[in-house]
Amino acid sequence: MGQFIVRRLLQAVGILFLLSILFFILVNLAPGGPLAGYGGARHLPPEQAVILRKQLGLDKPLPVQYVIWLAGNDWMRVDQSAVASGTSYGTRRGILRGDFGFSFQTRQPVLTVISERLPNTLYLMVATLLVALAIAIPAGILSAVRQYSFFDISVTTFSFAGQAIPDFWLGLILIIIFYAWLKNPVTGDSLLPSGGILTIGVPFSLLDALQHLILPLATGALGWVAWYSRFLRSSMLDVIHQDYLRTARAKGLSERVVIYKHALRNALIPLVTLFALDLPYIFSGAVFIETIFAWPGMGRLYYQAALQRDYPVLLAILIIGAGFILLSNLLADILYAVLDPRIRYS
Amino acid sequence: MSKNKTVRSLIQISLLVILTAGLVDCGKPPAVTPASTRSEPTAVVPAATSAGTATSSITIIIPEEPPSFNAVISDTGYDALVMHMSLLGMTGIDPEGNIFPVLASELPTVDNGEVVINDQTKEMDVTWKMRRDVTWADGTPVSAEDVLFTYEAASDPTNGFAIPGLDLVTGIDKIDDYTFVVHFSSTYPDYLSFLGGRQIVIWPKHYCNLDQGYTAWDCGRNPLSDGPYILKEWVTSDHLIFVRNPKYFEPGKPNIDQIIVSVVPDASVRETMMRQGDADILMWATEQVANDLKDASNVKLSISPTSRWVMRLFINLAAKGTTDPVATPNPLFGDVRVRQAIRMAIDVDKITSSVWYGYAQPVWTEFFRPPYNTCNIARPKLDIEGAKALLDQAGWAVGADGIRVCKGCMFAQEGDRFQFDLLTYSEYGEPLILTQQLIGEMFKAVGIQASLTQAEGSVMWADSSSGGIEQSGNYDIDLYDDGYAGIDPSYFLSYYYSSASAVPDQGWNVVRFVNAQFDSLIEETNTLNSQTRQTAFCEMAQILDQQLPQILLFTTLNAEAYSTRLTNIQANINSVVSWNVADWTITK
Repeated sequence: MGQFIVRRLLQAVGILFLLSILFFILVNLAPGGPLAGYGGARHLPPEQAVILRKQLGLDKPLPVQYVIWLAGNDWMRVDQSAVASGTSYGTRRGILRGDFGFSFQTRQPVLTVISERLPNTLYLMVATLLVALAIAIPAGILSAVRQYSFFDISVTTFSFAGQAIPDFWLGLILIIIFYAWLKNPVTGDSLLPSGGILTIGVPFSLLDALQHLILPLATGALGWVAWYSRFLRSSMLDVIHQDYLRTARAKGLSERVVIYKHALRNALIPLVTLFALDLPYIFSGAVFIETIFAWPGMGRLYYQAALQRDYPVLLAILIIGAGFILLSNLLADILYAVLDPRIRYS
Repeated sequence: MSKNKTVRSLIQISLLVILTAGLVDCGKPPAVTPASTRSEPTAVVPAATSAGTATSSITIIIPEEPPSFNAVISDTGYDALVMHMSLLGMTGIDPEGNIFPVLASELPTVDNGEVVINDQTKEMDVTWKMRRDVTWADGTPVSAEDVLFTYEAASDPTNGFAIPGLDLVTGIDKIDDYTFVVHFSSTYPDYLSFLGGRQIVIWPKHYCNLDQGYTAWDCGRNPLSDGPYILKEWVTSDHLIFVRNPKYFEPGKPNIDQIIVSVVPDASVRETMMRQGDADILMWATEQVANDLKDASNVKLSISPTSRWVMRLFINLAAKGTTDPVATPNPLFGDVRVRQAIRMAIDVDKITSSVWYGYAQPVWTEFFRPPYNTCNIARPKLDIEGAKALLDQAGWAVGADGIRVCKGCMFAQEGDRFQFDLLTYSEYGEPLILTQQLIGEMFKAVGIQASLTQAEGSVMWADSSSGGIEQSGNYDIDLYDDGYAGIDPSYFLSYYYSSASAVPDQGWNVVRFVNAQFDSLIEETNTLNSQTRQTAFCEMAQILDQQLPQILLFTTLNAEAYSTRLTNIQANINSVVSWNVADWTITK
């Protein structure tokens, strides 16, 4: 297993390198540029465009820009001035040494920009995923065990609805109901806040944090509950009629043990694949939910960066996101072995 | 099995740790501008208010976070909002377009002898006298040294920024701690806005780090205040909290203890928050919001006396994909009669009433804002039959399918159909798309076929090497809103209509309007003689009205929605809503 993990990690490094080239080319080849609509100024004066191009490092050929992005420019003499040239070493260290550059829009280091939003996204997405799994797994199992029962039909109906309802619509409806219509009977305030992570300007309280979490979590979890429960139901149905479960029952094992220890374990394997594919969302966030609920997370950051052609931020999110995907897949492979003793990696 | 259990436990613990970390992070005191990017000394926040004893508080909601406190760099408007709360320039501009002194003790003019123009060279020296009672929040006086520092930072060739008028400044000399002279290489009519107005403020020399540069220094996100409010807290992408600056120079002001600027990206949520009374000011209320909130008893609307943003058609006078209107005239729009017919075919009133809820005002000349709104340019009439006749006259005959074809037209090939792309940008949203559709229908009514297309702003306005649609001339007609900031149209007119600006990437004359008389009129406006300027502007208005390189349609709304508990909120197209933040009061 150890060798397998090391091999996969080495492969991941190679894949990330290739992806870095691909991402850099694609981002830069996309029509438009960061100077168009720089901030809110649609039409930048031409003399300013020249200065900005230099300040942002866009005046250099694309391959040079890539090398600087990857390996920095503190080892080469650079032309930083609009008038002088080649007089000093650069200050960039490159992503290989943990320097992702600075945001074209805010001029902050990219890692600072990301680190300010990533905890918010992790908080929301992990909570959403855990709640979704906590509901979906029992619902999926019970649906399969009690196939065609009222419960099964209800879960199936709910799942179809959950998959069909778009996040942005559901989020707005929940805000109208729980923020605009329903009031707290004691204080007379809105039952739940419309957005944000915490109430601004008041000391932290866990209750306040949870109140702010409920609506975005409910909006995000609905789709995942529907998706996972549906998938697990199908997976369980494939398993529960197999011979080895009949053997388990014949051995006198209780139905609870048969279902949860023998059936569920095998049924979870496809779910693990699904889960691994969803894990990167924990990093990338959800644009619509973050927008509707004013949640300062990675989804909004990525969307803004894409609109504004903020290349350094865009590239950092893409490359870190790719790393997450590779790690998630590795985690899935490891979980296969954990869940199914027959799977062994050499 | 035990090994599997261990791995499973580890995974479960990891997930719990991540979740807990998220919760704990939210419990932390909100991260003010990160320490790593902060310069020393840090901004001074008064002890009393930072301890949370604020008694009156209001909330402003905006859709996106300001990139910094330096409004001249990104010009999103949200940077100007927070900038005017914390930092002062030499002057400000009120909603009527009057410039008033802020850090200046008086406005320099020719009459008071503080503006001197050399008759031969036209070089101009402007002497500014500063107030002596303004200090930074740490008690350091705001002085001419800070002005010189700001100039030095902005004019730095590496890290500076081309603020309007800077290219004409040959230097600034300090006379004493509160007096300095700005030397202009030629007469610069907008000299009063050079170190003030909507976008420019003075930065503290002892606090900002010049080595970091004007566009990127840490004090741009964590400023030392000399304005009415001090930044107390900035939680990235979420909110900013400002508290009253006890050292603010105007006695008894500001009136409100705390202002929260909250980032709420979704428009319908912002509107709901206003209705619910959870927000006090909704910055830049759109026509839709203004209409929706009409029945809200707790919300008022402040509408700017005039608007900057004019919805307009940019007509490419050069053939699509080219940039020379003489060598390669646009086959459809090169003939001025066609442009006139297009204008006659558009029912502006129908668009403003059906899409813009009646808030949009018809506009047909660049010179509609005071003080240059005195030119006698008649409003064009809607005349469908006249448009058809003019197109017939221009050699565009109605074809078998109702779309006109060239039969003796000036620049197109015989038999060519009158069809083109009507382009707009996607970020504006539904009203612009509906406007585009209506215009497309109006064109069809006179036998012109417009294919409706959209592009991202970052593609439309990119430079030609980045595939910019306008700069490379790769369009027929663009539709969007534009107009000049501040109160002096000279800069705008030069960048949008002069021959020099028609060269790709040298300006924004993307319609490639080339007119020698217009160019010389632009030169004539470089004077402080208001009568000469007015005359030149009116001659320009005549030329633009006859040549129609752009067809101006209507202004969009510039308004602020605000809570009825507030007074003195005034929308200001020449600045932003916070231009008079020190005067705001809570009445109930």
